[in-house]
Amino acid sequence: MSVTIHVGAAAPGFAAFADYLDGERSLVQRAALSILEDAPGGAALRIEPPAGESVVWPLADVRVLPDQAGGPGIVLGRDGRDPARLILRDEDAAARLAARCPDLRPPRPGPGLWRRLGLMAAGAAGSVMVIIFVLVPLLANQLATLLPPEGEKALGDATLSQIREALSQSRAPLAVCEDADGQAALDAMVARLAAGADLPYPLQVQVLDHGMVNAFALPGGHVILFEGLIDAAEEPEEVAAVLAHEIGHVAARDPARIALRTAGSIGVLGLLLGDFAGGSVVLLLTERLIQANYTRAAETAADDFAHGLLKRAGMPPEALGAMFRRLREKHGDAKGLVAHFASHPRLADRIAAAERAGDAAAREPALTEAQWQAFRGICD
Amino acid sequence: MPLRPLEIEFAGTRGPLMRLALATSVKTVLTLGIYRFWAKTRLRRWYWSAVRPGGVPLEYAGEPLEKLMGFLIAVVFLAFYIGVVNLVLVFFSFSLLADNGTAYALSFVGLVPFWFYARYRARRYLLARTRWRGLRFGQEPGAWAYAWRALGHWAVTLLSLGLLLPRQTFWLEKFRTDRTWYGAARLEQGGRWQMLWPAMRHLLMGGALTALGLAATLVAKMAWLIVVPGAVWALAGLVYYRVHSFRILAAHKRLAGGIGFNAQPRAGRVLRIYILGNLLIAILLGVLITAVTVLAALAFAALGGLAGPEFWAALGGGGILTGVTTAAGVVFYFVIFILWGVLGHAFVTMPVLAHYAETLEIENPHRLAEVTQRPRDAFAEAEGFAEALDVGAAI
Repeated sequence: MSVTIHVGAAAPGFAAFADYLDGERSLVQRAALSILEDAPGGAALRIEPPAGESVVWPLADVRVLPDQAGGPGIVLGRDGRDPARLILRDEDAAARLAARCPDLRPPRPGPGLWRRLGLMAAGAAGSVMVIIFVLVPLLANQLATLLPPEGEKALGDATLSQIREALSQSRAPLAVCEDADGQAALDAMVARLAAGADLPYPLQVQVLDHGMVNAFALPGGHVILFEGLIDAAEEPEEVAAVLAHEIGHVAARDPARIALRTAGSIGVLGLLLGDFAGGSVVLLLTERLIQANYTRAAETAADDFAHGLLKRAGMPPEALGAMFRRLREKHGDAKGLVAHFASHPRLADRIAAAERAGDAAAREPALTEAQWQAFRGICD
Repeated sequence: MPLRPLEIEFAGTRGPLMRLALATSVKTVLTLGIYRFWAKTRLRRWYWSAVRPGGVPLEYAGEPLEKLMGFLIAVVFLAFYIGVVNLVLVFFSFSLLADNGTAYALSFVGLVPFWFYARYRARRYLLARTRWRGLRFGQEPGAWAYAWRALGHWAVTLLSLGLLLPRQTFWLEKFRTDRTWYGAARLEQGGRWQMLWPAMRHLLMGGALTALGLAATLVAKMAWLIVVPGAVWALAGLVYYRVHSFRILAAHKRLAGGIGFNAQPRAGRVLRIYILGNLLIAILLGVLITAVTVLAALAFAALGGLAGPEFWAALGGGGILTGVTTAAGVVFYFVIFILWGVLGHAFVTMPVLAHYAETLEIENPHRLAEVTQRPRDAFAEAEGFAEALDVGAAI
């Protein structure tokens, strides 16, 4: 309650004229304004239209409409949803009236709106999470098993050309390394590994001319090695181990699953991040995080598959461990190698698992020395 | 005895609008976009209050929180639709057709009805939150009926190579207008679609010249010299069509059976605002970008000369420098992005709105006094679908 200090015998009177809109009819009425000092519940503004009854607004309820263009004067309303308005164009009268009103801030939203908003935000976030992390993956897993091999092959081809374009530094897509002797050595190694696996389609293994220490599988039996990975390997068994791991993904049809999931979740993320500037960058990063989240279990399964495959082909599973150990010495655990291994289980766990897997019954080198040298020169 | 028509004043000026647009867009960027619901509300309050039929400002009574909540509702619906539908479409596209272009095309087509739905809902929300002389405007529900009609009309227009555009414009405008209310008074669209033919004049001539030029390029390469002016003419013709169809449609609208409208916007004026406004913005931003680039280069040169290599080595070499440069680049990107929006309000949106307002008159305004209030339309989802789909109302 505001305290009014009366100077002299009488209170300073407030009198003005304003356009009154009663919120009932489309009628502008020139009304006389005055202040009732002794209204019940505190001082109030009396609005007297030329015809009809006068209206009384408690001064504590009077609000000024915000963000109004131009002048002169102000537009007044009451707190709450009453559509009645007063347009007071006399700047001087507006200032005098404003000085008498304890709270002129804009009409505030009704009670409980913030709480309702909080509940809705939580509900919306929860629903979208369920859609992205439960519904879309569930559906993608089901559909991936139904996808015919030709369809999956087409999906893989499309993805591979996208990746080659995205990683390229120039206009031409990233080159495929095609040295004949090198490819022959690679094919020999792939044939030995694949003999022990039951695959839905033939493997197509290629080397891309890029320095990244990485390898990945795509839908339809594509396995891609980067040249950087071949350079980092010290013996052919290490490359064979990585290859066996990727064949594990192919056997489980993980890439098709991930591609379908991405198709579902990327649209949803685009929607959420909306028209706000620079959304696409955030979009890619977020999508990456989601994938890292849901491929961890698949990675462990692919490791287990690789151990079996290597043992059957007469190669040591711990080569996978050796490769990882060197990667860790060079790049540290779960940091540095953001590009691909961020989405993989912790290296330490994988090294331990590879060493626990035991050894092949009879060892046979993955490649002869001549084949290994040819393979290392596949990009030259 | 007919009284003088009621004229519409536009009371806005550039300075306050630019201050408001600047403050709200800075906050939008700083809050990662959440403030956009407040920004939109505040700008609409300003624009609405600048438009004053008979000296009484329009009022925009929408609330930012209801927009945010509507957006949340729409996002959940659309997330389900886009997530599941996209997935199923990609699956079928690959398993049946072995290609993904079809999937994206189909999933885009699948969103088109939603887009029209969202536009109708957004208009309903906008009208429900607009008041004049204390009375609410309103629009009846009917968004799906509108969406199917819009799809049908678009199909006909495209099949007729655009010749039946007036038919589409008229019937869709009639659908919206006949469901629009001011207080308890209904608005009606009269007339017939053929009355919009004269507005097509420049669009048809420009289009014909373009088509002719394109056909001629098969014979002689030089015919490109006809295609380019033809396309420019057609583009200007599109603005002419929008302005003049607005005039004709307004002249055939009636409120409460007797209150009419006289709209006289000029296509030349609107076109001039678009061209000169955007040109001015491009020049201002171009000068700013050049000046900042030159200053940055000079600053680097000066720093390098003053401090010498030891200074940079002590700072930790290139790492810090790269970091600072990147951060400055990001900030500068957002500054340009914000200024572009602010200048767009001041030199394009506001002048166009002012021109449309100042050239509109309300006939037989004495009949307005009979109009009474309508109940409030609660409308939980506000314009959420439009916001989520980025349907992009002008303001």
